[in-house]
Amino acid sequence: MTAATQRKEEALARAAQGDRSAFEAIVREHQAMVFAMAYHFLHDGARAEDVAQEVFLRLYQNLRSIKSPVHLMFWLRRVTSRCCIDAVRKDPPDRQVSWEESLEPAQAAGTADPLLSRRLRRLVASLPENSRMVVILRYQEELDLAEIAEILAIPINTVKSRLQRSLAILREKLAALLEINAHETS
Amino acid sequence: MRPLDDELRSALRRAEPPAGFVERIMARLATQPAPRARWAQVIQSFFRMPKLRWAAVGAVTCLLLVVGFVQYRQRQRAQGEMAKEQLKQALHIASSQLNLARKRVQVLDRRSPES
Repeated sequence: MTAATQRKEEALARAAQGDRSAFEAIVREHQAMVFAMAYHFLHDGARAEDVAQEVFLRLYQNLRSIKSPVHLMFWLRRVTSRCCIDAVRKDPPDRQVSWEESLEPAQAAGTADPLLSRRLRRLVASLPENSRMVVILRYQEELDLAEIAEILAIPINTVKSRLQRSLAILREKLAALLEINAHETS
Repeated sequence: MRPLDDELRSALRRAEPPAGFVERIMARLATQPAPRARWAQVIQSFFRMPKLRWAAVGAVTCLLLVVGFVQYRQRQRAQGEMAKEQLKQALHIASSQLNLARKRVQVLDRRSPES
């Protein structure tokens, strides 16, 4: 066992015994993962924060059932997925995203085209709910198909077909967008 | 343009929540009751301690032995009572048969001097 893993296990044990500073450390460590999953799913910063808060409050109530840091990651991904899907079903986004809501959270600088990234995020957010979460777990969390199947509690073949269908939709929509852009600029 | 997989990885990178996120969660936690252990978890944590586990196993074994012994004695007593009742009934039947026989002998005795 590495020192980092041991430190995480100790923090988990202390948090389960009611140590709030240990719980705070756990939240700080996993906040980017949980918030980004919710944000990419809902494409709405305020709702994503609500969902992320809900996930961590549930974690606090269930700390004693978390067996290890690996189990914690699995638990957070599963509960975030469920909370996101519940949030959309409870309150479907039937309105245009406002200018304020469209302000995007800070992300680490990458080599990609920021405009293209923003468009892709919007396209991902327009996918059907079940397929959207598969894409987020595959590309944000870089999980393999078996891990995604376990988190979403669905067969691996379903994950595979949803991912293939989603990529086909994204390719098609992206090509159409780029074509429109090319026409506008020419 | 890079392959779609790479573009998606870049677009869907993890993102930090707005400033003050952790503080808002901790503030909400302060208004919530401390998590309570469920019964199953309490029992599980009890059995995680080896000494207590063996003590519990011993206590349960003793209890089972005592219950078994008491039930054995009760069954034996019930069988004894049943045998006693059967013996009483048999004696009662035998006594009534003897009485009958004695009465017949007496009747025969009374008739014999006349003949």
